[in-house]
Amino acid sequence: MQRSLLAFYYGGSDTKIRARMDLIDRSGGRRTRVLTMLRRDESEGANQRLFIYFHEPSDVRGVSLLVWKYPAKDDDRWIYMPAMDLERRVSANDRQSSFVGSDFTYEDVSGRDLGDERHRLVGEGSAGGRACYQIESTPVGASSYARRVWWIDKQNYLPLKEEYYDRRGGLVRVFSADEVRSIATGSHTYPTVTKRTMKDVRTGRRTEVTFTDVKYDLGLRAADFTERSLRRPPAAWIR
Amino acid sequence: MLKLVELATTRPKLVIAVVLLVTGLFMSQFPKVKTDTDPKHMLPATSAVRVYNDAVEEHFQLHADWIVLGIVNAKGVLNPTTLAKVARLTNAIVGLPGVVPEDVISFTTADNVLADEANLYVKPVMAEVPQTGPELAALRRALIENPLLMDRLYSRDGQATAIYIPLATNANGKIIADQIRGLLRKADDDGSGDEFHLAGDPVARDSFGAEMSKQMGIFSPIAGAIMFAALLLMFRSLVPVIACMGVSMVCVIWAMGGTIGLGIPIHIMSSMSPVFLMAISTDTVHIFNEFYFRFRETADKRRAILDSLRVVGRPLIYTDLTTAAAFASLAVGDIIPVRVFGLLVAFGTLVLLLMSFTLTPALLSLMNADRLAALTRHEDMAEGSSARWLSGLARFSLRYGKAVVAGGLLLVLVSLIGVSRIRVNNNLVQWFKPHSDIRVGDAVLNRELGGTATAYLVVQGGQPDAMQQPEVLSFIEGLQRELEKSPLVGKTTSLADVVKRVSRVMHADDPRYEVIPDSADAVAQYLLLFSMAAKPRDLNNFVDYPMQQANLWVQLKTWDAVGMQQVQQIVEQYKSRALPAGSGKTGSLSIRAAGIAYFNLVWNQAVLWGMLYGFIVSCVLVLFLMSACFRCPTLGVIAGLPLLFTILVIYGLVGFIGKDFDMPIAVLSTLSLGLATDFAVHFIDRYRQRRAEVGPEACMDSVLAWTVARPGKGIVRNAVLFALGFSAMLFAALTPYITVGLFMAAIMLLSALATLTLLPILVKAVRSRPHGRQRER
Repeated sequence: MQRSLLAFYYGGSDTKIRARMDLIDRSGGRRTRVLTMLRRDESEGANQRLFIYFHEPSDVRGVSLLVWKYPAKDDDRWIYMPAMDLERRVSANDRQSSFVGSDFTYEDVSGRDLGDERHRLVGEGSAGGRACYQIESTPVGASSYARRVWWIDKQNYLPLKEEYYDRRGGLVRVFSADEVRSIATGSHTYPTVTKRTMKDVRTGRRTEVTFTDVKYDLGLRAADFTERSLRRPPAAWIR
Repeated sequence: MLKLVELATTRPKLVIAVVLLVTGLFMSQFPKVKTDTDPKHMLPATSAVRVYNDAVEEHFQLHADWIVLGIVNAKGVLNPTTLAKVARLTNAIVGLPGVVPEDVISFTTADNVLADEANLYVKPVMAEVPQTGPELAALRRALIENPLLMDRLYSRDGQATAIYIPLATNANGKIIADQIRGLLRKADDDGSGDEFHLAGDPVARDSFGAEMSKQMGIFSPIAGAIMFAALLLMFRSLVPVIACMGVSMVCVIWAMGGTIGLGIPIHIMSSMSPVFLMAISTDTVHIFNEFYFRFRETADKRRAILDSLRVVGRPLIYTDLTTAAAFASLAVGDIIPVRVFGLLVAFGTLVLLLMSFTLTPALLSLMNADRLAALTRHEDMAEGSSARWLSGLARFSLRYGKAVVAGGLLLVLVSLIGVSRIRVNNNLVQWFKPHSDIRVGDAVLNRELGGTATAYLVVQGGQPDAMQQPEVLSFIEGLQRELEKSPLVGKTTSLADVVKRVSRVMHADDPRYEVIPDSADAVAQYLLLFSMAAKPRDLNNFVDYPMQQANLWVQLKTWDAVGMQQVQQIVEQYKSRALPAGSGKTGSLSIRAAGIAYFNLVWNQAVLWGMLYGFIVSCVLVLFLMSACFRCPTLGVIAGLPLLFTILVIYGLVGFIGKDFDMPIAVLSTLSLGLATDFAVHFIDRYRQRRAEVGPEACMDSVLAWTVARPGKGIVRNAVLFALGFSAMLFAALTPYITVGLFMAAIMLLSALATLTLLPILVKAVRSRPHGRQRER
């Protein structure tokens, strides 16, 4: 499980992802955003820094979000809005709140800690046509879900499917890895979920995230993840 | 038909056994009963308003059904005890089955975004119950300064807050309301002075549904018992009483059992059908009435039965077929429960017709002949006091014909004035009595907070992102200010409020920045920030994913149709004045209404006017059928006059006392179809039979007097019986039942009176003319 978390959330020591995020309602109404996410691990499986830059739609181009993630305490978040040239630190104590209005949570994007949940191997199965371990996890502290069941690929440890249940045992959200590609960087190859969907079962809404460009081990610097970079995004990585 | 009667009189026990067996079969369907009390379902699922309402709920992620729990304290709700209670109740309510837990809104679940120079804080309005003075003051300030919370979670006078509870589809509002009341009982009586009030459409609707079956359960037997006693007094023997009640039970069981057996849910409309069928089946009284007279004359039981049905049979067939056709014609309309109701009552009426020629004679032939002789001693045309009195009435109205007709016309004129004052309106909350929990709760919440009836005004742009344009948001904001001028509008909330709120928060909570920014980019970025800070639904409720449609919430302080009508007028006026021409970025703009308040308005138009229309069609059909029955259009029209007269007077009364023309009243109008013509048909047919019996030379006045006295006694018996039975409903706890009981009794008595006074005059006027005489058979 540790390996799965590492494979999914901590591939490489740093990453650059350009992604398209589609929020889709039941009748097909759609809100699309294109963003670049930079990630740098301060230490494997622990402190992480994220920098998110919005490219599209054009009216939000340049909006940037900086997240400093710590394993055992609330994230620090900063946001910058170019239209008003305003920057604010955002204190929110909820990692499980929605990520920019999508069906993913901050936690789904930036990752959970192994100790956040109690895990139990419930069996083996298959998801997306691949042999998987089936795991049931129960959150230790307060959480928006009561239980989740997930399937991780036996070979590369990537989660291929997740089901989130509420307190009454009702299915709330379903995650699926729709496309897995191996991204080669130098000597190393990182299996990566390049297309994923999170569906809210009750509202019928879903969010699809498609990675259009993924790179690992770029040698991102800690200086790229400071408040200064909100106003001046690291030009080498974000175009 | 008479063959059936012969069979019934020769093999009565066999006939009774067969009827009981079939009745048992129909009754076996009863446990499968399904009920449906949602007035929404009166319109088909494919109706434009339901389709659009569903689409709006889907686009804006809205819940169709909300219960509002109001917490009121005269000393103010911002004190540690009350707030702790709010937190505890919210926690408990979130766990109730049928509640959508993640969308319950209260102090502890609603998010607020606060700011200082450098920071934004996203946290629940009340993360922990404040204990100290400064903490309470901070909470108060946070509430007052946030227009998204004010009048929704906190009242202007500080005396009220609320918990908003969304229900899952198909959850029962009454059951959940009862569970919440259970939670409240534990919270009550602690000396804090907290009062609790429940309101919301599902509470009213489902409480009405539950109360409906209860009231039917109580008042059907009471009405039955009163009718039983009255019948016993009239006929002084159990057999006709059992026959009459038994026949109506058989009709009800066959019709209801058949409907249930077909898997059709019982709606408010069809739940009233037992009352209708009991009313229609009092028709059987005419058989007993004639039978008593005949037995007295012949002393031969079997012959008396056959003779009675020979003379009463034809009017019975006419009236029952007319009634059945009238109700069946309701099936022509679009409204499904009205269709079901029409066909159900039509079927029951046909069952009644069958029983009149089988079960009733079979039961009569089991009566003891000696006892009958004793019973019928008073049923003599010359001696009977009631018969004498009735023929006196006939002679009076014939003598003073002009005066009686003039009086009738005057009444019609006055009634027309009343009819012109009728207001078509259906207010579910007012179906409860003034001091009931539901009425009081609704009134208190409407006084303290934004209003319990919700409407949505969907502003639609011509292309995506139209709603991020500042001119569109300013247009929406302007409409809100216009709407808020109406005293019936409590609160409005829109995307403009969200944008203004974020703008203020981003500018260190400076009230000067509580405005819509000048650039579309700024709007887009504020909304992106809001989506990072708030729950997705907090934004999705106001704008759709492509940002092409925005949803303006309007909370009304009344469930009356007039509230929404006013909203629509304001929208039309404002649109013609201020609608932006539409630029390349917005496309052309339009506004469309939805939501429960709008739905009710459409429902009023569609259902009530639909019923009125169906009723008029049925009236024409009835006149036509009666003309066909009598093979004379003039007589058909005359037979219809007491019906029209009765309806006019009743609706005139409705107009004068200011009672809304609502669903129960509309239902009543159809009832008059089934009943008011019966009397006239019996009267005219028996008059013609009598005339044929005594020959054309007999004095017309005396034939008419005979008709008023003899079949007329049956009419009076029928009307009184009925009026008495339904007067029991005056004591019901729901106002529609009181209305139905009262007006039903009035319809019966009035149409009996109209038949017995006006018809002799009219028949005489028509028949005295030479061509009328020639066409007489």
